[in-house]
Amino acid sequence: MAVFLARRLLLAVGVLVGVSYASFTLIATKFSATCATDYTPATKYPPLAGSVHQASILYWRWLRDVPSGRAFNESCGPGFLSPFWTSVGHTAVLLVLTGLIVVAISLLVGTLAAVNAGSAFDVVFRVFAYAAWAVPSFVLALIFQSIIEWATSKHGFRLFPASGWPGICPSTLFYTPPSCPRPAGVRYSISVLQHTFVPALTLSLAFIGLHSRYLRSALLVSLRAPYTTTAYAKGLPQRRVVIRHALRNSLATFTSALLLDMGAIFGAAMAVDWVFRLGGFGMLFIIQINGIGGGDSPAFLNPYAVENLLAFAALLVLASAFVSELAVGWLDPRARLR
Amino acid sequence: MTSAAATIETAAFATRPRGLTVVAARRFARRPLAVIALAVVVGLFVAGGLAGVLAPGGDIQINLTAVHQGPELHGAHLFGTDWVGRDMLVRTLYGIKTSETVALLAALIATVVGVLCGCVAGYYEGWVDAIVMRMADLVTALPAVVLTLAALVYFGEAYPHILAFIFSGYMWAGLARIIRADVARIRAQEFVEAGRALGASDLRILRRHVLPNIGGTIAVAATALVGQIVLIDATVEFFGYGLPASVAPSLGNLVADVVQFKFGLSNDPAVLNLGWWTWVFPGVTLVVILVCLNVIGDALDEALNPLS
Repeated sequence: MAVFLARRLLLAVGVLVGVSYASFTLIATKFSATCATDYTPATKYPPLAGSVHQASILYWRWLRDVPSGRAFNESCGPGFLSPFWTSVGHTAVLLVLTGLIVVAISLLVGTLAAVNAGSAFDVVFRVFAYAAWAVPSFVLALIFQSIIEWATSKHGFRLFPASGWPGICPSTLFYTPPSCPRPAGVRYSISVLQHTFVPALTLSLAFIGLHSRYLRSALLVSLRAPYTTTAYAKGLPQRRVVIRHALRNSLATFTSALLLDMGAIFGAAMAVDWVFRLGGFGMLFIIQINGIGGGDSPAFLNPYAVENLLAFAALLVLASAFVSELAVGWLDPRARLR
Repeated sequence: MTSAAATIETAAFATRPRGLTVVAARRFARRPLAVIALAVVVGLFVAGGLAGVLAPGGDIQINLTAVHQGPELHGAHLFGTDWVGRDMLVRTLYGIKTSETVALLAALIATVVGVLCGCVAGYYEGWVDAIVMRMADLVTALPAVVLTLAALVYFGEAYPHILAFIFSGYMWAGLARIIRADVARIRAQEFVEAGRALGASDLRILRRHVLPNIGGTIAVAATALVGQIVLIDATVEFFGYGLPASVAPSLGNLVADVVQFKFGLSNDPAVLNLGWWTWVFPGVTLVVILVCLNVIGDALDEALNPLS
């Protein structure tokens, strides 16, 4: 198992280096003049150059400075470390809350559907799963946001804000609202929960539909296995058989599928972040590529920043795949022998 | 021989062996929900394909006497009109046309490339397999939405064929992994060994023995690809990338328009109310297509792989 994981880790690092090199070279050869002409602060990094050879040299310097964080701050644009970590923090809160909701509800609904397979509950669950998985997250986000806006304007509903992050006003292209005070201490944490609960619920719905179906399928196989029959024959109550014997053996499939789906969850989180103006990775990425793609503000013209964001997204996906291998080995002892 | 026995014998000889496709088609037809879903998707795709015939004026024809009009069941505009008087039903039809063009073209290219790469990797194994799979790892290391957005920025212009190229460039990898696993399993079976012992070439074994046995997997995976591409395309266009709604409406950018306007002008929804019908109808059409494709994919899987 250790050799297998070491090999997987090496492979993931190799893929990460390959992806970051390919994206860096493509950006460097395409957007060579952008930050050289429009933004010239005193920087460590020179402007991106047009040839693959020069891009390779610059890539090595960028890679070398990633661990110390200099790769984020001393690029050809303004300092990027602070907005980067802020956006990563906001997205992390959204993803963790989403993960908790998905796991809790999928376990409950998937188990009930498998135990009552063929019942009315199972049919209703199946319809819900189809519908939830088919509705794009941004459509669902728009619907939920419209409901909150309606409830706020008509009934003075204040529990969940329609957009924004505590302390950061949801400003738009032509409209800057008055300052939004940032609450302190515990009130800030409560306010963050209030701002992220509906976005997390929006993001969760699609993945609850998908992953509770995975769990239901895996659990049905476990419930028909000989060890389940033996457990029933020993006189154990149904709840104990399902939770201790069948569910535990089905968790490896469920956990692995959920972690391997991180890319899709992350993509959907970007859309939800954009609709609810959470100031997360999605908003930062769109702002950065808008700058490269012809935005008129020099503050946005930072190709290194885009490279940092791409590398982070790849790191997240590869790390999830690696954690998935670890989780399967932990949950299913048979996997450790492979 | 009695006449009854003779009839049974004649009937037994008259029964023709059914191919796997016929058996699978009958299994599929026994699922009414899947048949309805197939009819709905085909109906919507045909309507989208015939958008130019059904609405020859195009999606940009405006009616200044009916600006920002809500949907009317018996009026001239069933889905209502937008803020410049364009019919939302016509725009939704043209939106289906754009989305289906991109999704079908991308799914076709991704399927061809994915099947080729998966067959080569699974059949030859060794270093060929390692190279193909590492390429797949590289492509899928980035989330689909992030990669597509970055690729669109790189290419600068978004046309249906560029979008199809980007999507197929990502989607082939997942399909290749599935096909590779299936081919590696079939390769180890006796009939392939027998074919090799008889002197059949690799190409002949792949074409005559391996491909027919992975037809079901390909059909299920290709159907799933169409749904995934429609979803990612809509998400990317929602961010304002891909095809602009003013150039070619698609189901994604029609929904996105309302958000772009809302966030671009004000955060107060009362300042610019574009009307729910301008995004709900394209959004519902998108959801209906995705639900139907999921139902078809599941039914195909159960019809072609009954043991699964």
